[in-house]
Amino acid sequence: MAAPLLEIKDLVTVFHTSDGRLPAVDGVSLSIERGQTLGLVGESGCGKSVTAMSTLRLVSSPGRIESGSIMFTTEGESIDLVTTPEKQLRQVRGGRIGMIFQEPMTSLNPVFTIGNQIAEAVQLHRKVSRSEARSRALEMLHLVRLADPEQRLDAYPHQLSGGMRQRVMIAIALACEPDLIIADEPTTALDVTIQAQILELLDDLRSRLGTAILLITHDLGVVAETCDDVAVMYAGRIVEQASAVELFSRPLHPYTIGLLQARPNVDARDSGPLETIPGMVPPPQDFPSGCRFHPRCSHAREPQCNVEPPSLREVSPGHFVRCHFAEEINS
Amino acid sequence: MSEQNPQTDPPLLQVKGLETHFPIRKGLLRRQVGSVKAVDGVTFDIPRGKTLGLVGESGCGKTTVGRSLLRLVEPTGGEVLFDNHAVRKENARSLRSLRRRMQIVFQDPYGSLNPRMKIRSILEEGLILHRLGERSARLEQMEQALERTGLSPAVLERYPHEFSGGQRQRIAIARALVLKPEFLVLDEPVSALDVSIQAQVINLLKELKQELGLTYLFISHDLSVVEYLADNVAVMYLGQIVESAEAGQLCQQPLHPYTLALFSAVPSVEVKNRRQRIVLAGDVPSPSRPPAGCRFHPRCPLAETVCREVEPPQVDLAGHRFHCHVASRELERCGGDAAKTSVVMQAAITAATSDSTEPHSAVSQRMSLDHQ
Ligand SMILES: Nc1ncnc2c1ncn2[C@@H]1O[C@H](COP(=O)(O)OP(=O)(O)O)[C@@H](O)[C@H]1O
Ligand SMILES: Nc1ncnc2c1ncn2[C@@H]1O[C@H](COP(=O)(O)OP(=O)(O)O)[C@@H](O)[C@H]1O
Ligand code: SF4
Ligand SMILES: [Mg+2]
Ligand SMILES: [Mg+2]
Repeated sequence: MAAPLLEIKDLVTVFHTSDGRLPAVDGVSLSIERGQTLGLVGESGCGKSVTAMSTLRLVSSPGRIESGSIMFTTEGESIDLVTTPEKQLRQVRGGRIGMIFQEPMTSLNPVFTIGNQIAEAVQLHRKVSRSEARSRALEMLHLVRLADPEQRLDAYPHQLSGGMRQRVMIAIALACEPDLIIADEPTTALDVTIQAQILELLDDLRSRLGTAILLITHDLGVVAETCDDVAVMYAGRIVEQASAVELFSRPLHPYTIGLLQARPNVDARDSGPLETIPGMVPPPQDFPSGCRFHPRCSHAREPQCNVEPPSLREVSPGHFVRCHFAEEINS
Repeated sequence: MSEQNPQTDPPLLQVKGLETHFPIRKGLLRRQVGSVKAVDGVTFDIPRGKTLGLVGESGCGKTTVGRSLLRLVEPTGGEVLFDNHAVRKENARSLRSLRRRMQIVFQDPYGSLNPRMKIRSILEEGLILHRLGERSARLEQMEQALERTGLSPAVLERYPHEFSGGQRQRIAIARALVLKPEFLVLDEPVSALDVSIQAQVINLLKELKQELGLTYLFISHDLSVVEYLADNVAVMYLGQIVESAEAGQLCQQPLHPYTLALFSAVPSVEVKNRRQRIVLAGDVPSPSRPPAGCRFHPRCPLAETVCREVEPPQVDLAGHRFHCHVASRELERCGGDAAKTSVVMQAAITAATSDSTEPHSAVSQRMSLDHQ
């Protein structure tokens, strides 16, 4: 079998601060096949963004990748993004791997027109003339279905709505026909009807262009609607991983189950209070011993859970769970 | 709390034709060149002990409605009756006593608490302003409010930055409760919180409402939270309410195309039936130049000529109210059956939007060709 497009193995990213060594990402393994969408989901502070930034080696100081490998394979050639020289990595970022972030306003340059910014992204990675780059930019705006693309080419970011700016970010990310897009909370700042537009657009582009997507979100609903596979993250680790169909029809980790039950809806209205997960997500300086979820877990049992860190085990084919009692919960 | 008889008691809050326009000024002389019609003719009632959920996307005017009720911004038209007091006509003094009874909790648990004040001063401020009790009585009230929100009296001596988002929101709720209000405007109180923390605060709000007999205006852009908490729901678009009904009725039989689209856009975890999503085109227009006719018509998949020209009148079907030409015609065709009409509307919108994803396929084909 061919190597996956992206294969992260045992990634450990730490921040060295006055609080000591903080392993924000602590042994994460993920893989994405060509043309697939992988959802990385969890509450804020669990390490999603640090995972994404590590993948592009953009973790800001005092953070650094301490160990692990990130194999990226295109056209039969594999490189390890952890050790690749910076010069080669710069070609990968925005070239073979595109990026989209939550707040497009901070990633777009306010003093350049959006046409210029897309053209620049194209010229950074391709030997094309200015006018070719500009017509490519226009083509990209058509592709991401921005209204009135001809006029908008000369608009500045502040003249666009949040949804339009996110389309521009997607256009920039796609300008070099990447094999992978890393999208970190791409719709979190948007209204639901605009979110629906952007998710549909991403899904449409993926199916037509074959671009794989690493979709990072805190919203399980977004994952259920767009992803092929899902990894649930908690306190720097993957706690459950499976296909979306499997994970949502048979969640096995108590944290995943808790997140799903905490979602309010009209059907839950007359059946008493919502199920809650007590307490909150611990920061790296307070990661508990044993299973990191045990202080909040309704299944936790001593002495296993508070002492022994559970490993990520394949409980049924393709369904991985990091819980001592996954089999019990399964039955 | 006294027993409430919906037949005879008037609603605690009655809002009629509420209008809040903000002037747009330009130039050296700051001449008014137009106005932002943030709230433009909003009517609703909230019976005592009930929760009205106000939903809609950002910029549609939800916060301005909430602030206008308490006159934190001055409405430019309409009527607000709180327990039969005409809020807009009250003088400064009587307004102050009304404001003790009507409190507001804001979305941002980080921005809404003064970082330089101890929790004690934050909670005590309102009690002192309203001259409620001596020092020891005030302390007792503060401790009571903290206990109700699941916090210990020890927090009084601490500062906001020492607390997590969920705890800050509890403190903000305690600050409102300390004055023993009857009515709370909750403006996106859980929107900034993670799901597990959100559920804790939602349960708290529900509990408080039951125990203290509170009446809520619950503002949110998140339909699933509103569905869960509200007795009645009103959907806002561009400064107006386009549809309102009892919560279950609105969720099961939405009639307005905007409500249908909004429901359809909420991501669900039912992965087995990835639905045909209704995807609306375009963005919400500016409230300084609302479209003529039905304000939703530029984005409405079902818009007809009449929609572009005539403002749709309100249809009231036993408390299920909406403003839509097409829905009102379909309702008539279905002999006044809301359930049937809702199905018909859903089908019509799905049909009208499902073939709209194609216009640029030529471009993408070109793109995949030069890929090879
Ligand atoms: N520059 C930094 N210095 C110290 N800690 C950091 C830094 N960036 C992130 N962290 C910590 O790493 C953890 C994971 O953060 P992040 O990946 O941003 O979470 P998520 O994206 O899942 O919300 C958090 O506890 C955060 O405080
Ligand atoms: N003080 C103000 N001055 C001018 N315009 C305002 C003011 N407050 C709100 N607006 C405008 O009124 C509209 C409604 O805003 P808001 O009530 O905050 O909406 P929502 O809470 O639904 O997001 C927006 O277009 C907003 O920009
Ligand atoms: S290992 Fe124990 S504490 Fe961790 S999730 Fe499973 S039951 Fe809960
Ligand atoms: Mg993040
Ligand atoms: Mg608001």
